[in-house]
Amino acid sequence: MKRAKYFLMLAVLIAPSSLIAQGSPKQQVLPNITTINVHSLGPQRIGNLPPVPVPPDNPQTSMKVQLGKQLYFDTRLSKDNTVSCQTCHDPAMGWSDAGPTSTGIHGQKGPRRAPPVSNAAYNPLQFWDGRAASLEEQAEGPMQNPVEMGNTLDNVVETLNGIPGYVEEFKQVFGTTPITIAQVVQAIAAFERTVVTTDSPFDRYIRGDRKALTPLEKQGMAIFNGKGHCTACHWGPDFSDGRFHNLGVVQTGPSKVDNGRYDVTHNPADMGAFKTPTVRDAGLRPPYMHDGSEKTLETVVDLYNRGGGDDDPNLDPLIVPLGLSKEEVKALVAFMRVALTSNNPEVAHVKPIPVSELPK
Amino acid sequence: MKKLYVLILAFIALSFLVPETAHAIPAFARKYGFTCTMCHTAFPKLNDFGQRFRDNGYQIPGQEGYEKNVFEIPPPISMRTPVGFSVYDSKQGATSGFNVYGLDLLAAGVLHKNISFLLIYTPRIDEPAGDYAGPNNGANPSQLGSMESANIVFSNIVQNALNLRIGRFEPAYQVFSSHRSFYIMEPYEVYTFTTPANSYLFSDNQMGVEATGHFKSGFKYGLGVVNGNGGNPDNSNYKDVYLNLVQIIGKGDGQSAGQRIGVFGYYGWQPTVLPGSVVAPTGETNGSGNKPFYKLGGDVSLNWSTLNLEVLVMGGNDDKALNTLDPTKDYRYSGGFVELDWAALMNNRLIASVLYNWVTPPSYDNGRSINAYSALVRYYLGDWTAFNVALHGEYTYREIGTTNPTKDNLFTVLVDFDF
Ligand code: HEC
Ligand code: HEC
Repeated sequence: MKRAKYFLMLAVLIAPSSLIAQGSPKQQVLPNITTINVHSLGPQRIGNLPPVPVPPDNPQTSMKVQLGKQLYFDTRLSKDNTVSCQTCHDPAMGWSDAGPTSTGIHGQKGPRRAPPVSNAAYNPLQFWDGRAASLEEQAEGPMQNPVEMGNTLDNVVETLNGIPGYVEEFKQVFGTTPITIAQVVQAIAAFERTVVTTDSPFDRYIRGDRKALTPLEKQGMAIFNGKGHCTACHWGPDFSDGRFHNLGVVQTGPSKVDNGRYDVTHNPADMGAFKTPTVRDAGLRPPYMHDGSEKTLETVVDLYNRGGGDDDPNLDPLIVPLGLSKEEVKALVAFMRVALTSNNPEVAHVKPIPVSELPK
Repeated sequence: MKKLYVLILAFIALSFLVPETAHAIPAFARKYGFTCTMCHTAFPKLNDFGQRFRDNGYQIPGQEGYEKNVFEIPPPISMRTPVGFSVYDSKQGATSGFNVYGLDLLAAGVLHKNISFLLIYTPRIDEPAGDYAGPNNGANPSQLGSMESANIVFSNIVQNALNLRIGRFEPAYQVFSSHRSFYIMEPYEVYTFTTPANSYLFSDNQMGVEATGHFKSGFKYGLGVVNGNGGNPDNSNYKDVYLNLVQIIGKGDGQSAGQRIGVFGYYGWQPTVLPGSVVAPTGETNGSGNKPFYKLGGDVSLNWSTLNLEVLVMGGNDDKALNTLDPTKDYRYSGGFVELDWAALMNNRLIASVLYNWVTPPSYDNGRSINAYSALVRYYLGDWTAFNVALHGEYTYREIGTTNPTKDNLFTVLVDFDF
């Protein structure tokens, strides 16, 4: 029964979402989807992504998405007009950055790696430690983070209200003036919900194109889903359980100690645990892990093959040495690097909006 | 006398032919969309992940409460059947034939957060023909009808430290599971060795209740109270107890990584006066004159890359009142096995293994001593989700007795499928 509902929603959604991608100019209200969270359904198969869950109080409209896109690429959201969301979540870098951790205003280094914005809409919780419950809530974070965009929310709103082009657009989308911070983050979140990658060789294979994967990649998939135990955590269509695990990743970068999820829950079981990231498009965004400490997919797999980092008393029980041979490592990496890299033109190759085309 | 001798030999030969039933549970794999090697080094032997999944009441550690329950998934039913051809060669002559070596029907799943169940039924197999009484006139069917497992698990009563299993289950002291051994024809001999006038069998699943726990330090325990009669109603008011302690050194769970050492002890009672005068509606009797017996042993599992060396040594002692062969002394025996398994090819598609079994009974019973040398190769046909087919070749050379031992050879090729 539940499942039937789910598929219906899927059907209803697929058509209009393709319209957003083309940026249809007319204000078009897309059907509302209640927040179905794939993660609440428990461990599931890897597969094609379902339609993005959309919160009822922030329905997707094509104009809202377009507005969000402008904000995403607009450095005026930062204190000194130098940093936009794109600075750290660049479509050309798999919606992340060069790393290992991010660089914000005045060249300041942050403590953690920028996770991809692509497919972030499927995360039940945002950030490595899950401290934000939604994309809307998340988007307030970087603007006021002193080492990221270094601004205040009041200042952001004031700046935007001083740009007539934005005032006009927000009025069209939300029907009110002046611009509020809630509207700003809703628009950004609406845009992020369109950044979904659905066209990897793996996706084509699942849809029935048996030739989409090479034999090596198929073997890699079997290892991912078998001897490698990867799907124990990277499960479901977005390859993430949305939960928190301690892999014993060696802490590097500016922050000497990172307690991860523990700082949010104060539950000792969460010490050093970080959210399972999606591995979709991981090939496009080295380095890896919450601190960018693993340079390549090969070294990531080495870490798993050793049974995680050393001497971490809180190592996740799902992490055990794997006994993978060189050939198996090669197959696993091929599966991730090639088979999980999508080719959605509207997502993988989104061009930043040039400054000249941003609202004035 | 001669007739008795032949009968005993026939019995031994037959017990040799009755394979251990074994289980792997594709219903779990189906639920998650996993391939078998998620939980098994190669089915049916569990790897570290599978062991932790089992220890956690068939829930992925960390997913308790999010797991789909049995009502939200396809019917959680699995089957396993090995079918093939055996050649048996003994002093008396040689036989050969095609066989269905067993059939397991399994159902298992999570009912609710931290409440799960396991059912394994093995139907009685007397075939080849429906009107054929079976080998030895029906006394030794090629498979016994048995509710091999029927248990409910309450997990994490105290997080990781206390889990309870109630019903009929595989006791924790079987650290090397007789049901999940790669070997289909050759049992762990010391597990199936019987002592005089004692119905307890080490390889049997027992009825009772068992507490288990595992800790971050790598320490694990299993503590149980059971009837000790396998699937039969108890025949006395005395219950058996056991304790199993394990320490894992290094990362892993000792199944496919990490090094594991353990000790176990079983203390049981066997009535000498049977049947008792009282029979409960549920079948138990109050057999009396209960006499004690015990088993003590140690085990080691060493892992290096995809090699796993398993060693188990144990001894048993039955009270002299149970020793029908020499009632002046306790019946003492010892035995064990050494097994080396190697997993090769992508995703462990090939398994090769050698196994040595020995049992040393007391000198007055040394006609039952066993030395068995086995080897096997298993090749898995695919990496499919939730089912697999293995081509299996297994050979055992066995000597029974010391002076003028009977020597036999059993060679089997079979297809083992599980879905
Ligand atoms: C200076 C670099 C930087 C900028 C600018 C930045 N981010 Fe991030 N972003 C990060 C880092 C680092 C994290 C992870 C922080 C953490 O988990 O503690 C993150 C996390 C996120 C996440 C959570 C993803 C996940 O999987 O949990 C989203 C979504 C996101 N950012 C969107 C945005 C948006 C929208 C903007 C613009 C308003 C933005 N970011 C600006 C660096 C940046
Ligand atoms: C116990 C759960 C778990 C298992 C099992 C697991 N992962 Fe992960 N994975 C995680 C978590 C959590 C992180 C982030 C850890 C951190 O940053 O500290 C991660 C990070 C990654 C990353 C880096 C992604 C990025 O964007 O930084 C890759 C790639 C990856 N895993 C692949 C795999 C592969 C391949 C396997 C199987 C060999 C696997 N994982 C098994 C939980 C798991």
